[in-house]
Amino acid sequence: MERKYLYVDYLTCIGCETCQTVCDFIHNGNPYIRIYVTENKQYVPINCKHCDDAPCIKVCPTHAIYRDEDGAVRIAENKCIGCLACLQVCPYGVPFYSLKVKAITKCDMCAERREEGLEPACAEMCPAEAIQYGPLEMVLELVNERRAKNIPEHQRELTEEELRKSISSGYKVF
Amino acid sequence: MKGMKFSFLCKKKPQPTGKRIAIVGAGPAGLTAAGYLVCKGHDVDIYDKMPEPGGLMLFVIPEFRIPVERIRFGAKELEEEFEVTYYPRTKVMEGEREDEGDEFYERKIRLSELKEKYDAVLIATGIWNVRKIGIPGDDLEGILSPLELLFWIKGHKLGYVPEEKVPDLAGKKVGIIGAGLTAVDVAFECNRLGADVEIFYRRTIREAPAGAYEINILRNRGVKWFELVTPKSVIGENGRVKAIELLRTRLGEPDATGRRRPIPIPGSEFQVPVDYLVFAIGMVSTPPVNGTYLATDRRGRLVVDERHMTSVEGIFAAGDVANGPTKVGRAIKDGLYTAVSIDKWLRGEL
Repeated sequence: MERKYLYVDYLTCIGCETCQTVCDFIHNGNPYIRIYVTENKQYVPINCKHCDDAPCIKVCPTHAIYRDEDGAVRIAENKCIGCLACLQVCPYGVPFYSLKVKAITKCDMCAERREEGLEPACAEMCPAEAIQYGPLEMVLELVNERRAKNIPEHQRELTEEELRKSISSGYKVF
Repeated sequence: MKGMKFSFLCKKKPQPTGKRIAIVGAGPAGLTAAGYLVCKGHDVDIYDKMPEPGGLMLFVIPEFRIPVERIRFGAKELEEEFEVTYYPRTKVMEGEREDEGDEFYERKIRLSELKEKYDAVLIATGIWNVRKIGIPGDDLEGILSPLELLFWIKGHKLGYVPEEKVPDLAGKKVGIIGAGLTAVDVAFECNRLGADVEIFYRRTIREAPAGAYEINILRNRGVKWFELVTPKSVIGENGRVKAIELLRTRLGEPDATGRRRPIPIPGSEFQVPVDYLVFAIGMVSTPPVNGTYLATDRRGRLVVDERHMTSVEGIFAAGDVANGPTKVGRAIKDGLYTAVSIDKWLRGEL
């Protein structure tokens, strides 16, 4: 199956908190995408980037972290021993230990929804269309279309390599 | 472009429950609540005084922040796939009151009529009035409300407002009082229309609600930023605004909001000439009642209990009309949780 990407375009994000709200709603009060506020009051949603060369998958001693057929990095909770090694290596500080399930948990690109043929809720509800979900080419096209249409000062198009880079590693928010 | 999927919790409408719900207000809270309720099998009718659904997201927030089509497609999907019926240009009101955007409604319905006709009513009418500052000269010609201005600009773009309604700001000097997101959006639009924009704020950039990031983008575009000043009066000539008289301030101890309180410095008055003045100092909730029928607090917001229900059983309220001005995401959150309450209440679980 073709790999899917969940991409947050920080240049079009308006910091409205809708992504965090709907994620919180469908995950019983545990949002997997969270808004962080910088010192100059920029609202930045951070979620799992489902890295190409995911360090959490590499470091997990029990192989509880794996990549599913859509490309989402997921956790088999029954295999997780809560050693927090994944948290130590994640450059975004994404995984967190859930006292409810007694295991590490994180964004799984709405695995349950995907099984029902739905898309990740944050992407479906983002009013600014700043969160895109789909195959790389589609995401690339939509992000560039959105930027070109609505943010004249950011009309420069991303190349495939730049998009991959910003999704996976060497990520620079500002 | 895909639309916002307000019905993000389901793929298609489930078996109907036979319950009918009226939603007053087609903004983020109303549409999201509609999306949840149709996924539970209820029939939803949405009343709104504007010509099409979307609320502030469509008619006020600038296009570069929220694409118009994103909202239009989302609302259309609710109508076509989930049989939501829209009643546009319909103002729901118990009593009398004039709000921004009233020129669009053609029909008026009393809230109590909806209460009789439906199994439950959700009020999500948002914030369609602006706060008045109350200084001498604040009623002069050339003083614009931020809502009015943004609404005219966007409404004109959408084809609902004639061109002559949008003031010609090219080369004009526009002063904006306030440093919230509305002030920033007004500054962006005025700057885009060729105005020479100056923002006046009583605290510093550190305390500005819009934040230094947004304000610095504006400054890079040539918008001037005056901090530690507060308006004292508006100077007019022949009934029209000519200048704003400001007082310098200094910051005192933190107030209830945690921000340091601005203290005016006596004798520090100075004037800045302006052609237009915009007081972007906050917006006020506009419930479809005026003093009676439903309980409101001293800020005009609808009072709701932990079930999101107003003082009348069966009438719920969500979003800015109950919470005051917040972000789109918080209105959506309130819309979702209120819809959960409505569903439970209709099933007799609440």
